[in-house]
Amino acid sequence: MSVARFDELIHAPTRLSIVSLLAASEWADFKFIRDSVGLSDSALSKQLTTLEEAGYVEIRKSFVGKRPRTSARLTRTGRAAFELHVVALQEIVVRSGASILPR
Amino acid sequence: MSYNVGPGEAAQALTEIQRRQQQVIDLAWIPAWYWWAVGGLMVVLAVGVDIRTTAAIGITVPVFVLGLLAATGWVVGRAYRHAQLRNGLVDGRAVVAILSFVAVIVGGTIGLAFALRAGGVHYPATWACLAGGVVMGLLGPALNRALRRFMLGNRTGSAR
Repeated sequence: MSVARFDELIHAPTRLSIVSLLAASEWADFKFIRDSVGLSDSALSKQLTTLEEAGYVEIRKSFVGKRPRTSARLTRTGRAAFELHVVALQEIVVRSGASILPR
Repeated sequence: MSYNVGPGEAAQALTEIQRRQQQVIDLAWIPAWYWWAVGGLMVVLAVGVDIRTTAAIGITVPVFVLGLLAATGWVVGRAYRHAQLRNGLVDGRAVVAILSFVAVIVGGTIGLAFALRAGGVHYPATWACLAGGVVMGLLGPALNRALRRFMLGNRTGSAR
């Protein structure tokens, strides 16, 4: 059974959305994350840098033909932190007596 | 352990987490036309097999190969450009579902073709692939739905 650990860094709304997208991906394209979350390039770069500095995200820059392509993925540390954060959130909901857990 | 977050906010965060993961999973959705296209290409190939002339083989094989590459490339490329699905989302149940689907289509089509040939029916491969293609067009979306359901169940934080 996982131990709950609430993560303030992940819980910030924008970062929560970004990390959740990455949680279902091996790699996710920068533009896909940007458009999904509705951020500007610079705002997303800032958030990804914050997550990268925490060791949660790895950024990869490559070329597809002549076009630069930036992708991101959760590191093992980031995935573990996210999973523990989810457990913490579930614990909060369950302790309140609410029976609604997302399926 | 106590947190500075209320149950309402926690529940909202969990909903957002599930929604965002679902967004990535939905990228892997295979459009219905794909199954009918592959079924149609099977029929084209079978016509070549039944006619057995150099010209027929020379036309139908390239149409089958190029058509399959184009359709599959479009479907895979569309998802791949955005995000690659996490490997852990596809579990043993999904693999069994895919293998069963392939076994039903391939096994059923080949079995029917041999049975038709034994019964003296003209163009047995074409008729069998026509039946296999229709089954593929009808069952493909069902496979899609099953795979999606398995992947949604494997999201982080999903009730298993």
